[in-house]
Amino acid sequence: MLVVGGSGSGKSAFAERIACSLSATRTYIATMRRDGTEAQTRITRHRKQREGLGFLTLECPLSLPKETHRAGVALIEDLGNLAANALFAADGTLHDQTLVAQQIQAEVVSCLEAFEHGVIVSNEVGCEGVSRFGGTRSWVRLVGTLNCRLASMCDAVVEVVAGQPSVLKGVLPWTP
Amino acid sequence: MILVIGGIASGKRTYIRSLGYREDDMNSSIHADSPVLYGLEEVLRQGTLSADDLDAVIRKEVVTCCEVGQGVVPLDATDRAWRELVGRTCVELAKHADKIIRMVCGIPTVIR
Repeated sequence: MLVVGGSGSGKSAFAERIACSLSATRTYIATMRRDGTEAQTRITRHRKQREGLGFLTLECPLSLPKETHRAGVALIEDLGNLAANALFAADGTLHDQTLVAQQIQAEVVSCLEAFEHGVIVSNEVGCEGVSRFGGTRSWVRLVGTLNCRLASMCDAVVEVVAGQPSVLKGVLPWTP
Repeated sequence: MILVIGGIASGKRTYIRSLGYREDDMNSSIHADSPVLYGLEEVLRQGTLSADDLDAVIRKEVVTCCEVGQGVVPLDATDRAWRELVGRTCVELAKHADKIIRMVCGIPTVIR
């Protein structure tokens, strides 16, 4: 399942509820880099939010784990970070957007194949038209492309607004 | 006319192809002799549509417009005016549309 939403829309909490309803064996694949206090604060907030839900947390900001087999459900949070970490090189230049899209798509697919269920959290970022600097534009396009491609492969796609899910494709495992 | 609205890389072009249109049926100029006007938002960089222009847009089979109004308020006054104009024009066009589609993650949702 793909869960998309704006900043602070409640998409993470919703995705966690979905994951919990799918299996008692839960793996959380965190993609944020631990740099700067803002990232730390966010990581701490998300860890607190998941406390007691029984997630095993794997921090994978650069590439997703390629496991042979893991049981239960994996929650990848989130695609936007993964895209940014792969697109922007350490020296500030950009990697090739098309290649990065293929690489991330392949990684997500192969990572989730190892689990019984997969939930991907992603960002809706393409709805402001004013061009920012080139790097941000490429990232926006990359996230949009990945959203489209992964959505077509997922059984269900949900958009979260103000904590409320709208089902764009498929069905939810329960009625919210 | 079908109005297709969606963010950057939300799948608008792929959706239009799924309706049976080819790449050369799409043009970003209002008065081009093609059934699909692709990218109304860029047309509106030139300013408000004249009555003739609006008429030509309404007579298209499909019109796409990028959703541009959901980010932060742009610093530049020209960008602010443009963003507002794109939104207002879509509201106006929607009155003449037979169907309005909103694209999210490549998935079309009929919003009217």
